[in-house]
This record gives sequence, structure tokens and C-alpha cells, in this order.
Amino acid sequence: MRKLLSLALLLVALCLPATSQAAAPKRVVALTPFSANTLAKLGVTPVAIGQTLGGAERFSPKLKKATVLPLSHPNGPNLEQLASLDPDLVFSSQTWAKGNEAMEELGMDVVVQDPRSIAGAYADTFEIGTIMGRKHYARDLLQQMRKQVEAAEAGIKKRPKVMLILGVGRTPFTFLPNSWGGDIVTKAGGKLLTGGVSSGSGFERISDEVVVAENPDIIIAVPHANEDDIPSLTEYLRSNPAWSSTSASRNGRIHISVDNSLLQAGTDIARTIRKVRSAYLKN
Amino acid sequence: MARRALVFAALVAALLVGVVCSLAFGAVKVPISEVIDIIFGQGGSATDVQIVETLRLPRTVEAMLVGAALGVAGAILQGALGNPLASPDVIGVTGGAGFGAILIIIVLPGSIALLPLTALAFGLLAAATVFAFAWSGRNRGSVGKVVLAGIAVLSLFTAGTTGLLAAFPERAPSAIFFIAGGLTSSGWRDLETVWPYFAVGFLVALFLIRPLDRLALGDDVAASLGSRPQVIRLGAGIAAALLAAASAAIAGLLGFLGLVVPHVVRMAGGTSSHAYVVPASAIGGAALLAGADTLARTLRAPIEMPVGPFMVILGVPLFLWLLRKAV
Repeated sequence: MRKLLSLALLLVALCLPATSQAAAPKRVVALTPFSANTLAKLGVTPVAIGQTLGGAERFSPKLKKATVLPLSHPNGPNLEQLASLDPDLVFSSQTWAKGNEAMEELGMDVVVQDPRSIAGAYADTFEIGTIMGRKHYARDLLQQMRKQVEAAEAGIKKRPKVMLILGVGRTPFTFLPNSWGGDIVTKAGGKLLTGGVSSGSGFERISDEVVVAENPDIIIAVPHANEDDIPSLTEYLRSNPAWSSTSASRNGRIHISVDNSLLQAGTDIARTIRKVRSAYLKN
Repeated sequence: MARRALVFAALVAALLVGVVCSLAFGAVKVPISEVIDIIFGQGGSATDVQIVETLRLPRTVEAMLVGAALGVAGAILQGALGNPLASPDVIGVTGGAGFGAILIIIVLPGSIALLPLTALAFGLLAAATVFAFAWSGRNRGSVGKVVLAGIAVLSLFTAGTTGLLAAFPERAPSAIFFIAGGLTSSGWRDLETVWPYFAVGFLVALFLIRPLDRLALGDDVAASLGSRPQVIRLGAGIAAALLAAASAAIAGLLGFLGLVVPHVVRMAGGTSSHAYVVPASAIGGAALLAGADTLARTLRAPIEMPVGPFMVILGVPLFLWLLRKAV
């Protein structure tokens, strides 16, 4: 009787992965670079990936064959174009909230992911693996990511005061600790200056008076610009009368980051931390 | 006369309170005695000197100038067009300036230093387009033609702005502050660029005070008194365009002020004489913007909020109270 029970349990155990694999969606669209690159790392090629106009997203070479869907407000992708791909599942973002509702009405399953911390990225990576029936690959990937991040964080010698700003113009927003860029800078060894502000959005416009009073050692701007714009933007920010007295301005430590690695979650977390440490924090 | 003097005194007092609050309060606590010392060059800590001299003082001056400019622009446009709904929006300036600024912020962020000039240039371009259409063909320079051309040009530029925001959604947050209207702490840099446009605009508005009073009697009466209604309207449009475009270059889109302040001072003073309405609108606009900007940067300090909503919160209750009394 015991042998029979064991045999039955073994059969159930053997059937479970097969069942979950069979249930995994086949036609997947990834609208965010994070989900697209995570899928690629898990060995899944989505039928399409999203790309914002003028966006500087870094995609895995494995995604070259995927159809590129241009994204714009308010829906994200063109819904007719998306429907023509007949996807079972769409990995989307809160940015396209209106489009997400429409996609669900069209019968697609929609998973919304906007990881704003490294821990959140780990959790979402595992969720993608689970949904795609590749839990064990996701576990391996997570283990690998954790090791790489620990290595990138090792040996921090200095902890400079850093202000991380979003956008250009005279009213930039400050990244808070609960933003992707804020978490990356903190893990890279920077003390994030926020004027003691907290906000659910992860960004706030803080007073220049606080910038003067807190006197950052380093200012990193994420302006949605191109490589060619770096010299003019650096000069503009350096000559900002509000910041001219800060250590960052006086010591030429105002930096421009034109890619999206500090703005939105990526899968190359360790690489981003190393870049922040070597290029900006020099710690 | 006594009523006008009383309103003037109240406006000047409100302006003084607004200016003192704007200099005294901010995200960083600086004792008022130290603020006074710094302003009179009697010292203070290096950080506090930087905060008061480089951040608060230019911002207060900008608030006064922009508030006064928008108040005057609204007053002369309402007088010239004989339309209570006239404001810098009506001649397309706000839409044009908004498009110019968003173009830089979203498409050409590397040229951000050119934002004030681009906003100014597009604001003036929009106004010039309105004038070109309104002053051509039949009934040239008529109120109806100016207003309709203004609405068409405003719609055109607004569509362009919306299109840019929709095309580059991830860049939109950078543009929100400009659209909602707000002063910044850019020192004297922006004022150095646009002060000549303010100067010319105020000067032309000053010379238009008497002609606008004649125009208020009707085109035919004004013409019989030797005035040229179309030239007065064109002059008022140009002055308003200069003032509103220069304001938008510094503080973004604050159309509400130009619409409401002239009405408030008219109702409070009980007269539509431009010798009273134009300077009173200047002082009232300056007081309103200085006060609203202080609230915008201190209420949730150190978070800064757009000034537009605060201007509405301060201005609308007073406006509605006066409107109820007037009607």
C-alpha cells in the first residue's frame, strides 16, 4: 500500500512540471526593457518588445528577431498592431495603465511590473520565471544576479553625498530612496540627498535651498538626452546659480547619465552599480 | 476717488506683505534678522547669504515682474478688445510659448539653456501670426477677427504641445512644471535675457493708457477724437505679447493671472479707467504671484509645487466674492 502511494506521488510530481510548462503562455509581448531582457535571459523570445520614441533602452542581442512595437501615451503600443500579434500574455508597466485595461478587454493576460528597487527586480524576475514555467532557470538567474551584485558592492571606500536628478530644465526632480536610481546609488555607496522627503512616486521636486544647504559632493543628472548633449548639459547645470556654490559644482563633479540604466530597472544590475562607482562616485 | 485710493493702498500693502514673506520664508530656515542683514549687506553665514542673495531675492523680483506683466497684459487686452474674457491666451502667446518650451525640454534637451529665448520667440511668433491674420482681408483689426484668429493659433500650438508630450511620454515629467506654471531659482540668468522685452512692453502699455480710455467709448467716438482704433488694438496686442511671452519664458504658463486680476481691481475700484486699472493690475498681479509663489515653495517644504494652483486658490475666492457683489 505504501509502495503504491509512493508511486502515485512520484507520478504526480513528474506530471506537475509538465502541466505547468504546458500552461506557460507561448506568445508573449514584453513592453518594458526589464521584462524583455529577463525573458531573454530565461531563454524565452517574446514575439514583440516595446520601444519608446527616442528611448535609449538596452536590449539583449537575443531579442533582435522580436517585432518592435513603438510605445506612446496613453495606451503604450498601438492596440490594433498588438492584437494582430495575438499574444497570450503582455508584460506591461503602470505607465500604460489605460492600455493595460484595453489589452485585458481584448482577452490578453496582462502582468504589470515596475520594479523600483533591486529587491523588487529580484522578485519580478522570479515572477516572470514562474509565469513562464521556468522557475528553476529563474532561481539560477537570481543566484547569479545576487552574486554579481554583491561583488559589485564590495570594497566601498568612500560614501560621498550624491544628488540624483531626473529631467532637464529649471525644475528637475530628485530621485528618492524608493526609486530605481536611488536604490542603485545607495548600493553603490552614495549617500542619497533628498532633503528628508519621501513620496510614493519615488521622485519629488525639492527646493534649491536644500541643495545649497546639504551641499552634495556629486550631482548626477538623468536628462533623457543624447551622448552629444552631455557637454552642453554639464555646462548648463554647472553654471546653475543655485548649485554653483556646491562642492559638486566647484570640483567639477556634475555628471550626466544619458542611458536609462538609472531611470528604469534593468537586468544588468551589477554592471550599473559598477558604472556608478567607477564613473561617478569614484569610491 | 477715495475708494480707488483705498484699493491702491490695500494692493501696495498686499505687495509688501508678499515680498517680505517671499524673502523671509523658504525650505531652509533663515532668521528674519539675518535676512535683513544679508539684504543690507551686513553679513550672515555663507550658506544663508547664498540662499537669500542667489535664490530668494531674484525669485522675488521675478515674481513681482511676471505678476505685474501678466496683470498689465490682461488689462490692456481686455480694454483694447472690449472683451472681458481677453487674456494673453487669446492672442496665442501662451500656446506659442508653451510649444517652444516643450520643444526644447522634450526634443532638444541639450539646448536647455535656450529655453527662455525659445519660449519667448514662439510666444511672439504665435502673436505675430494672430495679428497677421486678424489685420488682413475684410474687417481687418476687428475684435471678432482678433479673437477667432487667436483661438485658432492657440489650438494649433496646443495640439503641437500635446503631440510632443504623447510622442515622448517618458520625458513628460520634465515639462509638467512649465505647463503648470512656476518660478524657479535660476538667479538673475533668465531676467538678464528677457528684461528688454518687459521694459518695452511696460513702456508701450504706459503710452496706451489714454488711447484705451478713448477706445472704451466706442470705435466711432475714439476715431472722432483723433484716435485710430486699429492702431491702438495692434499696439495693445504687441505690448501684451511682449509682456506675456517674457513672463512665460521665466515662469511657464500662468494665463489665469492675466484674466482675473484686471477684473478684480476693476470691481474693487468701481471704475474701468485705464489710468487706474493698468497700474492697479500691475501691483495686484505682483502681489498675487509673490504670495502664491511663497505658498508653493513653503507649504510642503522642501518639496516645491507649481504656483499656478496656488494663484487660483488665492485669487478665485476674492474674484467670486467681488463678482457676487458686482452682479
